[in-house]
Amino acid sequence: MEKAIVQIKGLSKVIKNKKIVSDLSFDIYEGEVFGFLGPNGAGKTTTIRMMVGLMGITEGDVVINGHSIKSNFEEAVKNVGAIVENPELYKFLSGYDNLLQYARMDKNVTKQKIDEVVELVGLTDAIRQKVKTYSLGMRQRLGLAQCLLHDPKVLILDEPTNGLDPAGIREMRDHLQLLTKKKGMAIIVSSHLLSEMEMMCDRIGVIQHGKLIDVQTVNELNKDDAQSYAFEVGEVPAAEKVLSEYKVQMIDGELHIEIAREDVPSIIELLVENRISIYGIKANSKSLEERFLEMTNV
Amino acid sequence: MLKLILNEWIKIIKRPGTLVMIGLIVLLVGAVGAFSKYQEGKHVQTADPKWKETMQQDINASKKQLKEIGKKDAPIKKFLKRDIAIKEYRIKHDIDPFEKNSVWTFVTTASNLIILVGLFTIIIAANIVASEFNWGTIKLLLIRPFSRTKIILSKYITSILFGILLLFTLLFVSILLGLMLFGTGEGNVSHLAYVHGHVEEQSRLLYSAKFYLMSFVETFMLATMAFMISTVFRNNTIAIGLSILLLTVGSVITNILTNFFDWGKYILFANTNLMQYIDGTPPVQGMTMTFSIFVLLGYLVVFLTLALLVFSKRDVTA
Repeated sequence: MEKAIVQIKGLSKVIKNKKIVSDLSFDIYEGEVFGFLGPNGAGKTTTIRMMVGLMGITEGDVVINGHSIKSNFEEAVKNVGAIVENPELYKFLSGYDNLLQYARMDKNVTKQKIDEVVELVGLTDAIRQKVKTYSLGMRQRLGLAQCLLHDPKVLILDEPTNGLDPAGIREMRDHLQLLTKKKGMAIIVSSHLLSEMEMMCDRIGVIQHGKLIDVQTVNELNKDDAQSYAFEVGEVPAAEKVLSEYKVQMIDGELHIEIAREDVPSIIELLVENRISIYGIKANSKSLEERFLEMTNV
Repeated sequence: MLKLILNEWIKIIKRPGTLVMIGLIVLLVGAVGAFSKYQEGKHVQTADPKWKETMQQDINASKKQLKEIGKKDAPIKKFLKRDIAIKEYRIKHDIDPFEKNSVWTFVTTASNLIILVGLFTIIIAANIVASEFNWGTIKLLLIRPFSRTKIILSKYITSILFGILLLFTLLFVSILLGLMLFGTGEGNVSHLAYVHGHVEEQSRLLYSAKFYLMSFVETFMLATMAFMISTVFRNNTIAIGLSILLLTVGSVITNILTNFFDWGKYILFANTNLMQYIDGTPPVQGMTMTFSIFVLLGYLVVFLTLALLVFSKRDVTA
């Protein structure tokens, strides 16, 4: 099936006797966007820094495309493009010169490839300007261009939507979808914003206090979402009587019944049989936000 | 590795501050040239017609001093001997010590600006690692397939290359301007050197080049130190401050220390001035060029090893 391109094996980081990241293990597959979700200070950035060799690993290992980042850094990191926190650029150089700096560090990057990537991120018109004249969105795009130059198999983006407006986030999402679905790249994004992760990712791993709490696919999260249904009915007391064997709550004049999706038709039938008028039914999906809070507040 | 050095070089050259440094050196050489030319026009210089008599008196005085010192071993002895030898050579071969302004006197005057080369090289060396941390761009470098050793060495080599560029700019501009303003000079313009107990005539160009390169030793060592300090402490202010302080007063302090303590000869600054073995006297009796070169190499290894070890082990959180 899918190939695990990044394997995180029992990764731990201890700084000054404090365990920042503890025993993380998970795999990331080709062609997926993996979201790394957690509140601020949960250890996301530390984990990412260990994955790209910016920080030493206290225990465990990160294996990228079969090479250990600890023992074979140069081979492992060849397959990685990353933006850690902000896209850091040389402001006194032009966009193009920034890309050239990066291109010189990899034998296989041609002039043609640079132009191609510049076009992909839509910076063709501004590429000769100095980076200090760029807007934040343009810097993000240049940062993305920079880490795509060497055709990495894995793209790691730490808080990629930080400071982007909704249009920018949408654009970023489209880029990521294109890269994973068309080029088979694996992308790891981290964020503390759930709504964004839901839009961008295929799978989400939730981390808190340096520990991995849960890994779920976004579809799964949405599927078994709804856990109660709100019924707007004419005769409330009668309805309550009829539904006495279910868990029913009155909220804002609506009956909230905790049932599974497949039970909805039988409830309707029951109400109709008892001549209770139904004006509306809606599913109360517990938002991802609530689930996230539920998970992290254990 | 060459590509990394090229990258570093581009980053230095494309910053406005760098052009200011080079411009300032050119400008100051110009100012020195203009001033010398002005002075030349104001006071018509004439040779002392009785220079041989004056010089003979000097020689006699020095010989007397030498006798007074007697058998005691003092560094000044060697200095006096050389002075006498050169002066006697002048009288014998009729080489007037008075020189009209020429390109070579100008190059010698302009060599006072070498301290500026030192200053700028220290600034570049202290910033080349620290500013990548400030900009956050260090992350870009460190997540590329190069070992940290290669990254830091490319930065160090680039700083030193930049120092050499500044030095050659200074030498080249002062030769050019000297030729334009004063010409090649007349008559015998060779340098009189005292080698192995006798006097030799040497090419002035060779001597100037040698003088410049020797002067660069101090700059080179201080730039290496600034590089090490800024890498280890991630603080370019301390690195620049300390190195410039030592650049200006280091040799004075060392001179005081070497007067009282024999171990003073192991201090960096007792050894940076290699010209002392050619034109002067070493601060401590028994020091030789070879000794100094070994001491300098020792410091170099310590500075670079420290920078390398700390840089390789560091967790980057910039």
